[in-house]
Amino acid sequence: MSHTVLICDDAIFMRTMLGDILQQAGFDVVGEAETGAQAVDKYRTLRPDLVTMDIVMPDMGGIDAVREITRSDPAAKVLMCSAMGQQALVVEAIQAGAKDFVVKPFQPSRVLEAVQRVLG
Amino acid sequence: MDPARYRELFLTEARDHLIVINQALIALEHVPSNGGAGRESVDELFRAVHTVKGMSGVMGYDAVGALSHAMETLLARVRAGEEALDGEQVSLLFDAADALEHAVEASASAHPQSANPSALDVASLVDRLQGRREVARDRERASPMLLLPPGEGVAVHVHLEPGTLLPGARAQLVVARARSLGTVVAVVPDEAAMLGDGFDGTFALRLAAACDEARIISALSAAGYVREVRVVDDAPREGQASENARPRGEVAAVGDGDAGERFEAAWGSDALKAPLQRYVRIDLRRLDHLMTLAGELMIVRGRLAQRAARHGDPVLEDAVGEASRLISELQEGVLGGRMVPVWQVFDRFPRVVRDAARSLGKEVEFVVEGREIELDRALLEQVADPLVHLLRNAVDHGIESPEVRVAAGKRPAGRLTLSATRERSAVVIRVQDDGRGVNRAKVLAKARALGMVDAERERLEDDELLRVISRAGFSTADRVTELSGRGVGIDAVLSRVRALGGLVDLRSTDGAGTSFSLRLPVTLAVIPALLARVGDESYAVPLTHVTESLQLARGCVRTVRGREVIVIREEVLPLLHLRDIVGLPARDVASSHVVMLSLADRRAGLVVDQLLGQEEIVVKPFDAVRGAASCFNGATIMSDGSAALILEASSLL
Repeated sequence: MSHTVLICDDAIFMRTMLGDILQQAGFDVVGEAETGAQAVDKYRTLRPDLVTMDIVMPDMGGIDAVREITRSDPAAKVLMCSAMGQQALVVEAIQAGAKDFVVKPFQPSRVLEAVQRVLG
Repeated sequence: MDPARYRELFLTEARDHLIVINQALIALEHVPSNGGAGRESVDELFRAVHTVKGMSGVMGYDAVGALSHAMETLLARVRAGEEALDGEQVSLLFDAADALEHAVEASASAHPQSANPSALDVASLVDRLQGRREVARDRERASPMLLLPPGEGVAVHVHLEPGTLLPGARAQLVVARARSLGTVVAVVPDEAAMLGDGFDGTFALRLAAACDEARIISALSAAGYVREVRVVDDAPREGQASENARPRGEVAAVGDGDAGERFEAAWGSDALKAPLQRYVRIDLRRLDHLMTLAGELMIVRGRLAQRAARHGDPVLEDAVGEASRLISELQEGVLGGRMVPVWQVFDRFPRVVRDAARSLGKEVEFVVEGREIELDRALLEQVADPLVHLLRNAVDHGIESPEVRVAAGKRPAGRLTLSATRERSAVVIRVQDDGRGVNRAKVLAKARALGMVDAERERLEDDELLRVISRAGFSTADRVTELSGRGVGIDAVLSRVRALGGLVDLRSTDGAGTSFSLRLPVTLAVIPALLARVGDESYAVPLTHVTESLQLARGCVRTVRGREVIVIREEVLPLLHLRDIVGLPARDVASSHVVMLSLADRRAGLVVDQLLGQEEIVVKPFDAVRGAASCFNGATIMSDGSAALILEASSLL
């Protein structure tokens, strides 16, 4: 059975793109969220194998969302999506429980490598 | 991957972000970037630029990417408190925002080559943005030596692959994996140094864990982009133990606290928590559908209540009462879904005003009031263009140049106010300036020349002014500026607003200013209406245009020049018969009612057989068909389940 993924990003653009990359690689995108709070809610109901999380989002940011999700499920596998300028934030996300990160602009191969590392 | 698929998504979102960028820059023109309000603007600016950069990178839009990256780099410095934005830099960022907008539009157009902004412009802007950065870059410190303090556990030396992205963060992943094995007693260099540009991916940590070397190496290598992990057992000698006797938890806690502080210093503690006000996009048709369903529920509710009343069963009546209340709330809720705060459109205007003022060499202080007032989304979008026109008009024709203003004893900067207020079932949007006022003499001369008023008239009242200047093609502007004065403005504004069931009002005071007020219904979906009966049919007249209604007495109807008129309070108004309009034979007016209609300066009385009362009606619009039906613009279903056509007052007057 293919792994399930929840994609969290406030930009439809990014969600669409990540979704395409993951689906083409055989993942099952079971949900999308556009705020941190939504991500936390959807995680609870969907229990996906993997979450991709944008760092800067309205409402509850990605870092707080990671913290919440890891609190409710210490085994949660969250992959942060970051940009070059966000190193300090990525570090905080990791300290909050994120398992890995990918840097935008996304290269499909790098995204999939990171996903493998997280799931492996 | 085919980028064409994402083009539309990219454009829509990038345009939204450009609005945010412009707004934040305008705010930063007035407040320092390091103050509270300024910091918020810098944060907003940063987030917007950052998102555009991310999207452009994926799309391969190099110009957009280069510009947004350069802007972001400068802004990151500002956020970290390493630089403060001065006027020159804000203006540079404005230029960059414009170039960014061009680049966004050009990149996403079908023929990027032909429309792309000059690559030279982009390159020079990027250089200018970066020029600021070089100064700060020199201050950065070099990577410190790898000196792991002695202590419990083994020393682990790690080398990341050269060219690893965000090596500091990658190193933290390695550290996190080490923590999952045991206790990480120390890490060098410290986190701040790892986050610096000088960090080359070489670091060491001290790990106290109950597992062997191979396990450590495999676990840490799995963090990704790890070239080498070396484990060295440098067990501490006697005497140093006391120094390391602190509880492990405390060490970790101190480390985390440091990280938090540094993080806040670098990014601003509020920056990330500040919620971006965002709304879920919903296809308006879905909301309309819900609206229709809620409207139908309202009708069923009425029937249900009538039936229940007949049974005299208190339990049934309670339940029906409860259901009624819920249905009302549901309808209000659905209606609320169509409402958006006016700032969603108003926030585009500061830039419009600023640019207009600059190009005309005027100083304008632009004030927006009532941003949170809500209006039906469809309506709000419809009035955006008219408002842009009125604002430009005010800057161009209303507000004088600074010299003229000073000579007239005014402050050099003109004040332009855009306000929204709720007045009962209407929202009034007002564009008000403190400029010279409409040139009455000139408008009067034009009006005479066009034969719109009698030749002997010496003064025009405000409503006449509006009627004259709103005549298509009318303009008093001496010159045709780029902004306005082509005479294609006010009439378009008026016809748009009237089509929406609204009114335009003009007030002008010579030498003191002009104000245009647009009175709009709050929503197009549910409107208060007066229900009237003619023959066997019911009709709804929107209350927006009704001033009063009265019983018709035979004495007050007269005939002037072959036309029926009604005399009310010494005012003579034309009389229309709804029976005529819908093709029914006339009848004695004695027991009829008359509904007084008013639209701008036009007024008339509409004769109906009977008044049924006032009701909030759910509008189901339909396109006008030929003939008599052209004065109806929709239909509604009333609480008794019967249908009524909705009269469009503007077509009758």
